[in-house]
This record gives sequence, C-alpha cells and structure tokens, in this order.
Amino acid sequence: MTSEQLTKAKSLGFSDRQIANLTGHTEDQIRAERKRQGLVPSYRLVDTCAAEFEAYTPYYYSTYDRGDDEVTPSSKKKVMILGGGPNRIGQGIEFDYCCVHAAFALKEDGFETLMVNSNPETVSTDYDTSDKLFFEPLTLEDVLHIYEREKCWGAIAQFGGQTPLNLAMSLKKNGVNIIGTSPESIEIAEDRKLFSAMLDRLKIPQPPNGMATHEAEALEAAHRLTYPVLVRPSFVLGGRAMQIVYTDAELQHYMRFAVEASPDRPVLVDKFLEDATEVDVDCIADVGQFEDPSEGTSVIGGMLEHIEFAGVHSGDAAMVLPAHTLSSGVVETIRKYTHTMARELRVVGLMNVQYAVKGDVVYVLEVNPRASRTVPFVSKAIGVPMAKLAAKVMAGKTLKELGFTQEQRPAYWAVKESVFPFNRFPEQDIVLSPEMRSTGEVMGLDADLGIAYAKSQMAANSPLPLKGRVFISVSDPHKDNVAEVAKEFARLGFQLVATNGTAAILEKAGLHVQRVFKLNEGRPTAIDLLKNKEIQLVINTPSGAAPRADEVKIRTTAVLTGTPIMTTLSGARAAAMGIAALQKSGYEVRTIQEYH
Amino acid sequence: MPKRTDIHSVLIIGAGPIIIGQACEFDYSGTQACKALREEGYRVVLVNSNPATIMTDPEFADRTYIEPITPGCVEKIIIRELNEMKRTSAQGKLVLLPTLGGQTALNTAMSLHKSGVLEKYGVEMIGATAEAIHRGEDREAFKQLMLQIGLDVPISGTAHTLEEARAVADRIGRFPLIIRPAFTLGGTGGGIGYNREEFEEIARRGIDLSPVSEILVEESLLGWKEFEMEVMRDRTDNCVIICSIENFDPMGVHTGDSITVAPIQTLTDKEYQIMRDASFAVIRAVGVETGGSNIQFGMDPETGRMVIIEMNPRVSRSSALASKATGFPIAKIAAKLAVGYRLDEIRNDITRVTPASFEPTIDYVVTKIPRFAFEKFPQADPTLTTMMKSVGEAMAIGRTFKESLQKCLRSLEIGRSGLGGDGKPWRIGTEVYGDRDILPKDLIARRLSVPNADRIFFIRHALRAEFTLEEIYQLTKIDRWFLTQIAEIVTFEEELAATRN
Repeated sequence: MTSEQLTKAKSLGFSDRQIANLTGHTEDQIRAERKRQGLVPSYRLVDTCAAEFEAYTPYYYSTYDRGDDEVTPSSKKKVMILGGGPNRIGQGIEFDYCCVHAAFALKEDGFETLMVNSNPETVSTDYDTSDKLFFEPLTLEDVLHIYEREKCWGAIAQFGGQTPLNLAMSLKKNGVNIIGTSPESIEIAEDRKLFSAMLDRLKIPQPPNGMATHEAEALEAAHRLTYPVLVRPSFVLGGRAMQIVYTDAELQHYMRFAVEASPDRPVLVDKFLEDATEVDVDCIADVGQFEDPSEGTSVIGGMLEHIEFAGVHSGDAAMVLPAHTLSSGVVETIRKYTHTMARELRVVGLMNVQYAVKGDVVYVLEVNPRASRTVPFVSKAIGVPMAKLAAKVMAGKTLKELGFTQEQRPAYWAVKESVFPFNRFPEQDIVLSPEMRSTGEVMGLDADLGIAYAKSQMAANSPLPLKGRVFISVSDPHKDNVAEVAKEFARLGFQLVATNGTAAILEKAGLHVQRVFKLNEGRPTAIDLLKNKEIQLVINTPSGAAPRADEVKIRTTAVLTGTPIMTTLSGARAAAMGIAALQKSGYEVRTIQEYH
Repeated sequence: MPKRTDIHSVLIIGAGPIIIGQACEFDYSGTQACKALREEGYRVVLVNSNPATIMTDPEFADRTYIEPITPGCVEKIIIRELNEMKRTSAQGKLVLLPTLGGQTALNTAMSLHKSGVLEKYGVEMIGATAEAIHRGEDREAFKQLMLQIGLDVPISGTAHTLEEARAVADRIGRFPLIIRPAFTLGGTGGGIGYNREEFEEIARRGIDLSPVSEILVEESLLGWKEFEMEVMRDRTDNCVIICSIENFDPMGVHTGDSITVAPIQTLTDKEYQIMRDASFAVIRAVGVETGGSNIQFGMDPETGRMVIIEMNPRVSRSSALASKATGFPIAKIAAKLAVGYRLDEIRNDITRVTPASFEPTIDYVVTKIPRFAFEKFPQADPTLTTMMKSVGEAMAIGRTFKESLQKCLRSLEIGRSGLGGDGKPWRIGTEVYGDRDILPKDLIARRLSVPNADRIFFIRHALRAEFTLEEIYQLTKIDRWFLTQIAEIVTFEEELAATRN
C-alpha cells in the first residue's frame, strides 16, 4: 500500500481496522505507519457559521480532509469522559446521566473536561456540558487520537456502560491513564474464575456454578448443578442471550443456536435459585486511594429489592427502595458483603452488586465495579448525587472530604417500574425473563408504599383500575398461591373472571368467579372481553419455557388493548396493595425539593 | 420585544419514560429549557416521571415533581403551585410550556385544555397555542390548511371505523395504502397495507390504538424521496431554517428508522429554496408563533411533485439531531421565544456576535444511523415500516458523505468498523458468510427491496456481486447520488484488498 492509498483510505472514512484487515496488517501496524507519515486527523469546529465568525464553544469533529486544526490549546489538567454511544436496550439514558455528572463534577474541581460520544440524543453532547466536546465514534482508534492530541491526564471509562469498559484494557495498553477502579479489578469482577476465587477467599456464597466452552461441558455442568440453571455468555450487558433452562433439550438448543461459546468466551452456567428475592445495591467507595484498604470509606447508596422473584433481569424488574420485606439480619449481611467486596476490589468510584436472598442465605450473583443503571434512581431516591461524588473520588477526593460517609435511609418509598416496547412488536410475547427488554423506567414516590407503587404504574402508562373485572389465569406451579391473591381482589370489590382450571381452584376457596371459555373451546373468551374493554386487569403467569399459544395471545391482546397486565403473582400482590391504597385515600403530589 | 414580565412561573412537562419514538432527546431539550428559563429569572416547575433524566436533578428546576405525567396529576400540580404562589405573594402568572416534552407533554396539555382545566385556573399555554397544536396535529385539519395555502398533500382521508376506512381506500383506488393513527407516538399502530386483507388488519389496529379512534388512510408515496426542515419562528414573524435533513431511505420507512443526512445533498438550489419557502408558509399557516417545528416533505423522483407529509408543532427528535448537527441550541432558543423574545434579540452562544436570526450554515456532512434491537424480540417482524422500531441512534460528522457514513457505521457499535472489509463475518438468518464473500444474488435482491436494518450493508454486497447502480436504484429507490458515493467506497475497498499481494 502506498502512502497515497493510505491517505485516500482515511479520507474515505476507512478505519485502521478495515485497512489492516484488507491489506493484511494489524490495526497497531497501520496506526504506527500512519503516525510515522504524520497522517492524523485534524479537529474542526461545529460553529453554525461555516467558519465565517470566530467560535467560542469548543465542539469538534475529526476529519482527514487535511487543513487547519481548530482546537484551542490549553494547559489545564484534562480528564476525558467516555460516553455510552447509541442508546440500546440495556445501555441507555442512565449512563448518559452519569457521564454528564462526571463532567459537572470535574469542572467544579478545576479540571478541563473532554466528552467523547456519538449519540445526538443526549445531554452529554450538549456543547455546554463539558469544556470540550468531541462528537466521535467510541473506538480505540478515534479515542486514542483525542487523548494523545489533547495530552489528557486521565480518562473515565466507568460511567458510559459497557462501551467504554470494553475499551478500557486496550486503552490502558496504549498508555491511557484509566482513573478510578483499576481495569484489573474490573476484570476480576467480570472473569468467572477470578471472581469465584475471590468470593471463596472472602467466604461469601454464590449460587453453585460452572462454565462451558461446548455443549457436552454445558450438559455436564447442568447435571452437576441440577436444573433449572441460568445460562449466559460472558461479557455482555443487558442480559443478552441470558436464559433459564429446565431440560437437556433446551440446553442443547441454547448451545447450538443461541450463543457462540469458545475458550475465550465461555458460557456461564449457574444454578437458578427459584423463588429467591433479588436485591440490587449501589455503593460508592474511595478504598483504592489508600495503601491500607481499611483506611478508605465505602458507603451504600441504596438497596433496591425486586418485586418480581429471581429470574427477571434487573433492568426489567420493578424495585422498591428501601428494601420492604427483608429481615434486619439479611440487610446486615448484605451490608457486610458489600463493604467487604468494595475493599477487596479496591474500588475507587461506584460499584453495583446483585444479590439473591433465599431464606436467610444471601448469595452474590454479580459485582460490577462501575456506574450501574440504577445510579440515577438511587441518587434521586436518597437525594445524594452519587455519580457526581464518584467522579470526584476518581479524580482524587476522599468521601470524608466530600462529606458523604453515612448510608441514608429515606423516610418514604421509591418504586422503580420498567417500560417496554411491546406495543411496537405485536407478535412478541411479553413475559419477563433474564433477557432485558425494557427501554425506560419511571419512579413512584410516596410516604405510603401502595401509593408509590400505584404512581409508578400510572407513570408507566398502565394505571391500576379501582374497580371492574380481573381476569386470572395462572400456570400450574402458581396455582397453590393464586387463591390468596384473588381473595384480595375480591375484597377490593373486583369481579373475578377465569377459565375452568383456575376457576375451579378459586371456587374451592369460596370465591365467586365468572367463567369464560378457553380459546377454541367456545365464546366468549377472555380475548373477547379484553377487546370489549370488559376486563380492567389481567393476571397471567407463563407456563415455563414453551408457553402455550393461547396464553401468549391473551398477553399480547392485553398490550394492544392497553389493559394493565401482571405476569407474576408478586406483581399482582403489589397491584392489589396499590389499588387498596388508592381506594382508601387517593394520592397527592410533592416535589423532590420537599422530600430531601 | 423583551421578555414577558407578566409571567412568574413556568410549568414544563417532560416526556416521561424512554420509549421507542421518545428517547433521551427530550431530556436534552427539557434540560436546555430549564436552564434558559431560570437564566431569565423565571421560577421553573417541572413534572417528569423519569428519574434517569438530568432535568429531574433538583438543581435544574425550582420545583421538581417526579410524578406521573397524566392530566389528573398535572392538575394537582397546577392547584398546588397556584396555592404556593399565593402563599408567597408571587407577582405574575403561572404558564404552561408543553412543546419540549415530546408527544406526551403535548397530549397531556391538550387534554387539560379540552377538559377546561387550563381555563378554570387561568393557566396560559406558551410556545404554541392549543389552536396551533390542533392545526398541526389533526391530520384532516392540517391537510385542508395546506391545500388552502396552495401546497400539495398526499391524497388521503380520515376514518373512525373500518367502513369509513374502506371507503377512503376505494376513493384512492390503488394499493399499497399507508395507515397512520392520529395522536400516537412515533406512528404506533401504523403501517403499510399491500392488499385489502392487510389493509383492514392494520386499519383496525390503528383505530384501536389511536386515543381518538382515528386513522389517516393515504396514497402510498413508497419510493419517493423524503426531506425534513427544522424551522423556528418568533412572534414578530421572523422565520429561520435551522437545518435541512435528507432521508437516505425513501418514503415508507419512518424517519426515526431511516438513515438521515444533513444538510440536504440531492436537491438543486432552486428546489431547496422552494422547500424553504414552503416551510415558512407552513409554520405561518399553522400559527406556531414562538418556537420550533419540524416539517416533512415527500418528493416524487420522477416528476418532482412535492407534497407536505406532516409537521410537528414542537421540539422533536429531529430537532435534537439538527441542534447537534449545526451547533444551534433549538430547545434553548425555543424556550426564550416562548417567553417573548425575538430571534434577533437572542445572541448565538457560539459566535457571540451573530443573533439567533442568523441561519446556520454548515461546511461538513452529518450522518445519523438508527440502532435496532431485533435480537431481543425474535418473534417480531424486522421489516422497517412507518411504525418506528429503532431504540437509539448514532451520529457522525465528516467533510464528505463517505467519511461521515463510515464514521457513523463504526459509531453504531454493532461490531462493524465501517461499511465492510473489517474481517467480521456476516450472519444472515442461519447462514454465515465471510466478510469478503460474494453473497447470493437473490438474497441480496430481497434484502434491498424490503427495507431492513442491514440494507446499507447489502448495497455493498450488491456492488461486489456486480449489480449495476441502476439495478440497485430500482430495488431500493435510494437516490443514485448516494449509491454513487457508496460505490466509491466499495471500489476503493477492492483497491486496498488488491495491495495485499
């Protein structure tokens, strides 16, 4: 390849990786060759006036169209903040929120902040959020150019979700100072073997688990652990291809079609803890700043208890802060484990831990030493800007200096509910699973837990009805507990509607039930009533991995007709609690300035 | 005309949770509005149920309600705030700014207007009047208005029942037909009917999903070119175009799901000026007096016939893109216009010398590509239609379309480092092809003619499989100019690959 060809390739937008692959080199070789030839991008201004007037807002893009470089030089200490890139399910506005806070915080502390992001929908790409904005792809090539060009002191990779985290190791290898928790600690948390070894050492339980690089290994692990097991690929965010598996056949199908397993990227196989309660904890620590980890501080921001039982992705689950059913003993254990792991991983900044509680035993499911999806929610719930504090800690301040050393316990309830795009995909079953599918979230705040839950449903555009008919249809494993939930709705004045199977159980419990036909057995069916808006709430729990066609039809019809639907009994219980509270007293509104 | 002094507090309605069609661009616009209005000394009251937003941070508004965005809830907030203003003997009015929180805010405000709540409590709507919102949003009223001012619109009719829908279909007299439900977000429930059965199915669903049980049935403009204009107007009738945007994908794909390019690349100056004049005529006729609007145009590539598709009398997803593409802060300026400033009274932050009435000029090309999540919804239909399905987007800036396109493709984070040649295999259904394999012609033809998330890559596959530009054009109706640009990239990919030996 001639230098003219290399120059032309860059001006046509070819990345080093494309050029390397096409010409039979490595990306590093192409980068070195370009640098040798002095072929680096210049940075131009987005200035509204095609360079007619001088521009004062430093908003830049790179180009290989050779010419003036318009970056204003400065001698301040610079920190680069790596954004999250395009929104996707699993990585959305929450991470933009964290990046914006990092920019505000470090500006306050006298740093020059550089934001790198490619998502036009965000506040982080507003020209007055950071000192300099680079509207650029988040790839090693593009990020390194800016870092080197601007001679940054450090870069923050903890705040933009998985995108910058995936870059962290290769950036570090190329001389970038990744501030905050070290990429090595992040690797311990992400690498199954290292992580298990750490938990063993700390005597913290995790669900029995194994790893598999091919089908036979997966089967062997599953037999050792006994079904059901939770399977997932390593290194993903948003529960991509995460699944609960009940049989050999399902597992074989999963290994053949759902994932690509390899020795580098093994599939993780965990014993699935049925009916466990999940808890998410967001914590902030400055431990890694100290030689002796016991000198540092770690503070829990919030404990969020899931409303749905284990098996629903934490990005999809409804959650309550503070925990509402856990015993004080369990809460204390969670606290202890969290602090122990923060010290062991020498966390500088944020850490998120997911726990499963079964009986009195607390298991650690996952640790992520980075900003999590729940950080903005927790920050609003406790009135403390966690992301902002974390950024300051990463840049050198201690939590003591920042005055945040005490866990807060709010005197009110905050409920998080997720919002799904199912109305866009009418063919798609809506049952919640370990694969995250929500696009957004809302918060319900109130002194009464029932009202807070009711507000969250209202905000999620699925307001709880105060009267009318409830259609109940549950699968066999849930039949034991359905009567108790149904009684609650009957007590609240609702008329119960069910098909034969569920109806028989409810009648046995002394409840009056209006029977409807199953699909294809006669009319009217639940679908008819839904379409006529004669059903105000649906309680429908799925029957395992292969749901029956008629139950899917009921769920998708509920979505299309805008009828609130609960696909778990715990969700249904929460709904009853919310309805009871609304019936009793209605709701009032309050500002967060008054809450805090 | 300086800012209004009769206003004490401004109630801003946010957009609520992130959903398809309404993402964090409204956090961006709401945050800008909060900042701009507080800068002017107004007391800002905000309602938004989404805790992951920057705007709901306690320091961005004086009073922040993280409460559901429903008419009932907003009414409670209005009553509470009026009492609070009385208690503190505040001088001036409480007004409502509904144009920065997407469709959610607009619908909530319109509902409060229709139920008489705003009148009862003396709360004025600023940014756009209820009448202007109605003229912009009600498809039938909008179409009549366009015809009155001499602009062309697609032949269409509204329907509230299946019978009415059938009658409109008969009047248009040919398939395919476009169905758009009224007052739904990002076209939820809309679609394209290629035959009577499909038409009736979508029409039924659309009537169901529309909060006013209304759909618009339209002649199909499939294959027409699509353009957008971002316009702003002040109360002394100054109008400016902030940004012109061209959809790479022709009509038939929701603009939120289209690759889009700014500024417009394939119009002559004369055509562009006609579109600019039409944009001003539209915003004047609809009567958006103080703020921004987005206007969508369709153009028949054969005859040049130009029709107005729709307008959003509010800050939209395209406004966020236009702001980032030009550096012009549309939401901030819209908030200032809403409280009485004129465009020529607001200074451009970037140059500090030009006023906001100075139309932005750009000397680069901006490309936006949507990001999809079909892997999460395996049962869903991945065909792109008039109902938006993407969950996010990336934008990139370059000096040429080619540079910005390839930068944008690697910004998408779908594992690709550009248009092709990065060594990654192509997974198509259950088949896996090598990066430089020549794909089967029938597969390529199918993926070009039915819009889908990977169509841009299939243009490369087609060129490498020796389809002519004309063949690709006939299959996609993507303007030949864009295809020529892509062909230059692909040709050079071959030149680079040839250096290997």
